Order: sequence, then C-alpha cells, then structure tokens
Amino acid sequence: MAITRRELITNIAKAGVPAAVAMTVSTETLQAENLPVPNAPVGLMYDASLCIGCKACEVACNEANNTPPDTRGDGLHQSAADLNDLTRNIIKLYKSDDGSVTSFVKRQCMQCFDPACAAGCPFQALHKDHETGVVLWDGDKCIGCRYCTITCPYSVPRFQWKGFDPVVTKCELCSHRLAKGLKPGCSSVCPTGAVIFGSREMLLLEAKRRIKKNPGRYYQDRVYGETDNGGTQALYLSRVAFADLGLPELGPESVPARTLRWQKRIYQYFALPALLYVGLVQVIRKNLKGHEQEAHERAEETGLRAQL
Amino acid sequence: MSSTTINNVPIPKTRWERAVPVYGVTIFNPFFIGLVAMAGLALLLTAYRELAGLGPVSGMNDKFGWGIWKTFNVTVLTAWGSGAFSVGIAAWVFRRKRLQALMRMAMLTSFLAYACGLFLLGVDAGRPWNFYWILFPWNWNLHSPLAEVAICMSVYAMIPLALENLPVVLERLWHFDESFQPAVERIEKALHKFFPWIIAAAYLLPGMHQSSLGALMLLAGNRVHPLWQTPLLPLLYLGAACFMSFGCVAGTTMLCCLEWKRFMDMEVLEEAARITAGLIFGWTALRFVDILLRGAFGTAFHFDRFAGVFWLETFFITYGGWLLLRSLKDHKARTMYLGYALSSVGGMVYRFSPTTLAYIPGPKAIYFPSTIELLVALGFVAMGIAGFLLAVKLFAILPAPNQEWRDMAHYFKLRKPYIRWTKYFNFGFFGDKLPTDSE
Repeated sequence: MAITRRELITNIAKAGVPAAVAMTVSTETLQAENLPVPNAPVGLMYDASLCIGCKACEVACNEANNTPPDTRGDGLHQSAADLNDLTRNIIKLYKSDDGSVTSFVKRQCMQCFDPACAAGCPFQALHKDHETGVVLWDGDKCIGCRYCTITCPYSVPRFQWKGFDPVVTKCELCSHRLAKGLKPGCSSVCPTGAVIFGSREMLLLEAKRRIKKNPGRYYQDRVYGETDNGGTQALYLSRVAFADLGLPELGPESVPARTLRWQKRIYQYFALPALLYVGLVQVIRKNLKGHEQEAHERAEETGLRAQL
Repeated sequence: MSSTTINNVPIPKTRWERAVPVYGVTIFNPFFIGLVAMAGLALLLTAYRELAGLGPVSGMNDKFGWGIWKTFNVTVLTAWGSGAFSVGIAAWVFRRKRLQALMRMAMLTSFLAYACGLFLLGVDAGRPWNFYWILFPWNWNLHSPLAEVAICMSVYAMIPLALENLPVVLERLWHFDESFQPAVERIEKALHKFFPWIIAAAYLLPGMHQSSLGALMLLAGNRVHPLWQTPLLPLLYLGAACFMSFGCVAGTTMLCCLEWKRFMDMEVLEEAARITAGLIFGWTALRFVDILLRGAFGTAFHFDRFAGVFWLETFFITYGGWLLLRSLKDHKARTMYLGYALSSVGGMVYRFSPTTLAYIPGPKAIYFPSTIELLVALGFVAMGIAGFLLAVKLFAILPAPNQEWRDMAHYFKLRKPYIRWTKYFNFGFFGDKLPTDSE
C-alpha cells in the first residue's frame, strides 16, 4: 500500500519541526558571522593611467618567482598572451573599438578578502594567510581538480597542462620576498610608480588622495577593489571602465557570500542532514519489518527462497 | 501450479515477483568482447595521461578547465545512474511496493555508474596522490560544493551502495554450494540488522551530492548563461537526477526484457511511468517559474546556441513526459520506452549544459574534446555496460515471474553433471526444490 496522505503529512511534520528550528538557529549564527579579516592586509595598487606598458614587471615577476620566461609564442620573446602556467603577472592593452581610447592593465591575483577560489577548494590548498591576507597555494593539499579556474571571477589561477606533476600558478604577492623584508618583484621595478606595494590601508588612502587631487581623471572617481567582490587587496585606478580592463562589476557582496548562502545554511553544523537521516531510518525500519514478513510468507507459498 | 494472493486473486503470468539471472546465453559474445577491448584501450590511455599530463590528451584549456570526464562521465552519468536513490525512495519511503521489483536493477546501474564515474574523477584530477586528505576531516573545506561531492560520492559508492548490492552476491553464493549456506545466512542476518541505517544513508547521501553537483556552478556566477544560472540549480539538478534515473532503470529493464525475451510487467512499469511523468512536469514547471521570476525568459528567444540548447532540452524532456502519460492510456511498451529514452536524453543535456554548453568563460573561449579524451570517456561507459552484462548473467538482477526461476532450474538440472564436475561458476547449482513432473 502506498503511503497515505495522513502519514505523509505526519512524517513531514515530524521531520520538519526540528529541522525548522535547526535552520533558524543556524541562520542567526550566520548573520552574526563576519569574514575573518587578516591582521595586516598588504596588497598592490595599480594606477592604469600611469602605466607605460614597459613590461618590466613581467620580467621581474618571473625572476622573483624563479620561473623561466614564457617564450612559447615565437620562441624568442617573453610574450605570453594571457596569464598561464609560467605567467603570474601580465600587462595587457585595452583598445576601444574605434581605437581612440587605450589603456594598459596589469593583471595578477586580486587577493580577495573572500576568495571564490578558496571557497571552492575542496581540501584548503588555496587559503588566505592570516597575517598578510595573501591567497596562497599549498601543493601538498591540491588534488588538481581545477575548480579554482572555474570559480575565480577574475580567471586568475592557471593550471599546468603538461607533465605528471602539475601545479597551479597564481600570484602569491611574492610572499617569500615579503618574509625577507623585500617588496614584490613587480612593484620593485616599476619605473613610473604605476604599481606600488604597501598595507591595504595606506594604498587605499593613496588612491583616494590621487582621486581627490585629480577630480574627473579616474573612472567614476572610484577605487576598484575597495568594496568590489567583498573587497580585494589589489586596488585599481583607471581612466577607462573597469569592465573593459577585465575587472567585472560584481557588486559589494563577494561571490561566495552571494552564491553559497543556502549551501552554507543547509550544511551548518551538519544539523539538517543528521535530522533527515534519523527520520529516514525510522520510516525505513518500519517499512522493512512488514516487507520481511511478507517475503517469508511468499517463500513458504512458492517454495522458492525469499529475495530481499 | 497456480499462485494466488491472500485474497485468492490469481496472479497474472507476467507479474514480476522474483529476480532471475539471464541464463542460457553466452557471456563472451562479440559485443561483450568489443566493450572489454574499448575499456582496455581506455585504461591504457589513462596510463599515458598520468605520464603526459592533461594537456596532451584532452581539449581542456585555461578557459575550459573542465572537460567531458567531469562534466559528462561524472555530472551526467551519475545522475542517470542514481536509480538506487530515486526508485529506492519511491519504493521504501513512499511505499510504492511494486517498484521493489526494479530495485536490483536500480542498485546495479547506480553502482556501475558511480564506480566508473569515481574512477574517471581520479584520472581527471591533476594531483590524485593528494586524495588521501579525504581521510582527515579537519582538512575538509566543508563549505565547498566540490569537497561535498568528492567526499559524499566516494563514501556513498564504497559503503551504502556497495552494501546494498551485497545481498545479490550473497544469494549467488548461497545457491552455488550447500556448504556456503550457513556462513552466508549468518552474514545476511547481520546485514539485515543494519539495513535501515545503510538504506537511509543510501538515500541521504545521493540527495546531498546530486544537489551539490548543481551547487558547483553557482560559484561560476555570470559565466553560466542566465537560463541556467539560478540559486535553484542544486534543486533542479537533484530533480533532473530523479526523473532521469527512473528512465534509466525502467528503460534499461524494458530493453533487457526485449533482448532476453522476458515478460514485461506493465503494472510496475506504468507505476514508474506515472511517477516519472509527475516528476518531469513538476520539474519543468519549477524551472519555468524560476526563469520567469528571474526575468531571464527573454534570452530564450535570442537567436543563439543557448536558446537552441534550452528549447532542445525542454522539447526532449516534456515530449518524453507526454509520451509517458500517453503510454498510461494506450498501454504500449513502445510509447513508454520512447518516453523514458527522450526524457533521459533531455535530462542529460540539462545536466551537461551549465558546465559546458551554457558556460561562457570568455568571448572566444572554445572547448571540444580531443580524440583520446573521447575514447577514454567512451571506454569508461563501455566498462559500465560490460559490467552490467556480466552482472545480469551471473547474478539474479532482472525481474521476472516466478515461473522463470523454475524454468531456469530445469534448464540447469539437465546440465548439472557437467557443471558440477568442472565447478564452472556459471549458475551451476541453484539448490532449490524443483517442481516434479506431476506439478
């Protein structure tokens, strides 16, 4: 006999009441929850209007990270088309359709406050450094699933497609140099000061000072990264629209906070799945009991061994 | 010999009452050998992939980080093979008792789909040696949908799903030799004691990871086309898995009945069709309401490939559902099979779209699987089919009337001396009381 309506409703109610309580409880904790903020976030501030596109930072980046130059383009020049397994940092040129407006843009990891790559990383290979807030990659924990290349809204992490021991390449803000008291490779060689390194607080002040000093010079008189995607530690100033430079307008809420809200709530403390499990065990135990009885009766009747 | 129910109503001859192996056919026929060869080739190619890396063997690139190994063999085929979850819930939680006849088919197809999918997931991972972190819960990222999928899927396939399939193997051993019977009965008794806990886990875990597979693409944000990207993706993925897997279980059973000349119990199949049609139309309604509420319906009328894929999905799924409804009226197995097949194909396209067809990582990004990638993907599918053919011939999986079991016993009675002599593990001895000639 199929389940009766009365039973269905009772079962739903039985499972639903504690479930609803658990949901409410967990929702409150989530609302109070804040993103863990690094103690001393450091970052880069890039002013596209000052960049002359000399690409000295690209060379310095490879040197600082002990990576061979990517000469796969023509076999001679370091000329990567985009970020890739040998390129953590790249200068690109934006040109409007009629060619009247141009701007360089430096692309590297944005070091988000709430990084989507780390939110999706199954075993915490990508994680935020508690001190500096840099998003670091741990090769001992990475399973090479490439989920980070799907989730990062800036398409920063890159996977090494060749070889049996592939790595994920992304800018880690030259953390090994920071530990020695040195600046990151790119900012230490920039001839025009287009990219500067410092604590995020100081960089934000400097960016706002530039906007105040030159009203109308910068797009929307706004610093990209101050609140975008929940705030990033790499900040951008530009004359042209940020979206044209490959920095999408994501709003003040970070991608994980916006998209994984329900995922987080449902799995909070594992309370809801556990309740559901207990409910299922009850229902199935009851249904199995009757079934076994019937199966044995049928076996006696037909002389064939019961199949359960 | 007339079977009757308690109310003395005669049981129709076609009624599925018992799982019976496919007997009297060769296992190693050319088709099977072809499948094994494909699977073998795929295994050789995976060895090459482990040495050369993913780039040389696949069409994956910096823009499309995921290829068909993940997006088809895992995302699509495990959904198609989640019959142990959907049919199981209908049979055991909602007490659609007649569907229990399909449970062994459901559990076998699920196990094969998950085993092949998980194997390929390991091949697809760039640094598979780090999978050992799965054993250290404090290192899990509990809010990551991918961690949820990886952990939950492997636990499900290795523990509840494997244990669900164990009784079939035990039964085979019980019938194989009388000396095994006491030990087998002891194990069965212990297993039955824990069955409620095992089965409940087997329904909870797929519900979790089949929805988390949808949650995977939530983090991709705007890069998934608005017709697919919705906060309801997890629910829609789960719903699609439900109706697809009904199609897989019932459709495959019908195909097997046709191939091996078994009776089709239309009562069971129609119950399954009724549920599937209900799921399909409920799911489609939910999807359209969601698209309308998000205001994305306009994009369905743009002249581009996204709108094309969307209408293709919708057509396959709803036409399949309509055919299923029609089969309830005209009682034709042909209409019903077509309905199952079309709705499953539509569901497959839906599950495939957000990761590949409707995924837009950049204006010029393009992905097409390479030959080796396709061969490996097909090889793993072939492995699953070969496993299925082997299992239905070695174990009692396919449902049949009780008479079929007696026919089989007669069949082997004639060949018993030879089989007992060689100890040939091919339905040697079924140990049952055979009906005498007078019966």
